[in-house]
Amino acid sequence: MAQKLKETILNPILKGNPITVLILGVCSSLAVTVELKGACVMALSVIIVTGVSSFICSLLRKTIPNRARIIIQLVVVAMMVILVDQVLKAFAYSIDKQLSVYIGLIITNCIVMGRIEAFALGNKPWPSLLDGVANGVGYGLILVIVAFFRELLGSGTLFGFPVLSSLGYVNNGLMILPPMALILIGCIIWVQRSIDKSLQEK
Amino acid sequence: MNTNSNVYTVIYTTLICVIVAAVLAFASQSLKPRQDANEKAETIRQILTAAQFEFDASSNEAILGFYKSNIAEAFLVDADGQKTGTLDTKTAQIYGVSDLKAQNYNIKGEADYNLPVYIFKNGTTVLPVYGAGLWGPVWGYIALDSSCTQIAGAYFDHESETPGLGGKIKDDPEFRAQFAGKTVNTADEVPFHIVKGGAPAGQTNAIDAISGATMTSKGLDEAINIWLKAYANYAAAANNTTEEE
Repeated sequence: MAQKLKETILNPILKGNPITVLILGVCSSLAVTVELKGACVMALSVIIVTGVSSFICSLLRKTIPNRARIIIQLVVVAMMVILVDQVLKAFAYSIDKQLSVYIGLIITNCIVMGRIEAFALGNKPWPSLLDGVANGVGYGLILVIVAFFRELLGSGTLFGFPVLSSLGYVNNGLMILPPMALILIGCIIWVQRSIDKSLQEK
Repeated sequence: MNTNSNVYTVIYTTLICVIVAAVLAFASQSLKPRQDANEKAETIRQILTAAQFEFDASSNEAILGFYKSNIAEAFLVDADGQKTGTLDTKTAQIYGVSDLKAQNYNIKGEADYNLPVYIFKNGTTVLPVYGAGLWGPVWGYIALDSSCTQIAGAYFDHESETPGLGGKIKDDPEFRAQFAGKTVNTADEVPFHIVKGGAPAGQTNAIDAISGATMTSKGLDEAINIWLKAYANYAAAANNTTEEE
């Protein structure tokens, strides 16, 4: 049991990482990784949404009519996303302004629906919650890594504090544009597959 | 129980939707006052920042308190520069972004408009501007001296401009700093210029545009000029009064 639990938590972060292995949620990870602060809040929001939606859907799993299950999942996810957006607007207004439309777009993030379909509908609520959270963490981890390099090399700052800019570094404008995020994610995938040979396709 | 029957499916989905709707309605209603307060404080923070005040922006109360103790009068003016109403300074009544949007339609549609003017105790007059950027609306506040000819400062915000490019109208202090000390004559056909490739040296009513953000710079340029022209009669009157004094 303990072994299985550990698997549930660690797999989505490393071997089954939603972004680098499953290649899900790439779109939003290009958009919100210009600055670390935004990336962290986005990561936290996704963790909450995936975790709680998986939990709720798992609670309902035996009652959900099979033919309408996608709709029901969507309604639950949409509810969570709107709740997160509303709470951020009320308690973290400046960050919500910065993330603007991307919070709303969590609903289209394939990771959320993917985990509910693949895991929550066939497992008990607690493991489902863990699976959702772990997938959110796996997603968030890549977001933070990408945002670290993009903010550092693109703006010369980290969390808004000048790091490289005080050393006379000239900001690289390409880092700020989405294509560079894609290239960075590509590099992360490359590094990960070089270390873990089992991920390489034959 | 047969969870695949039509009746069950319809009842179940209806029920879920009703429950979710109720949860969201409750959340929206209970958080609304807080959200509105945040939005108002943010607008006032932007007005104060444009007017070059140094103030404590750590809480909504601090921002509102500072505004209330420094504002002299706030009122609305129409196209002829006539006062058509007042904004209550005791409750820090202001024109929010949605109000600016509505007035922007009036200005562009050549309908009657009422635009807000904020005058602080130190004589600084703050006028809002509103227009279209690349992805969404851009707006901001321009602080002028009491004769409405000299710019003291400015602050801009946007809904969805690209961070690091168009977003610089808000995030880059150097862009904003260019406005301070510039002059503006609302009687000119084009009162203010945001120039791509750099403002010509010596031109006192022009600043450099943001490289890599041509459309945002253009949109902001248009917003500033359309709104300043809309205030032209008010500004002319304000200029006359100061000269008589």
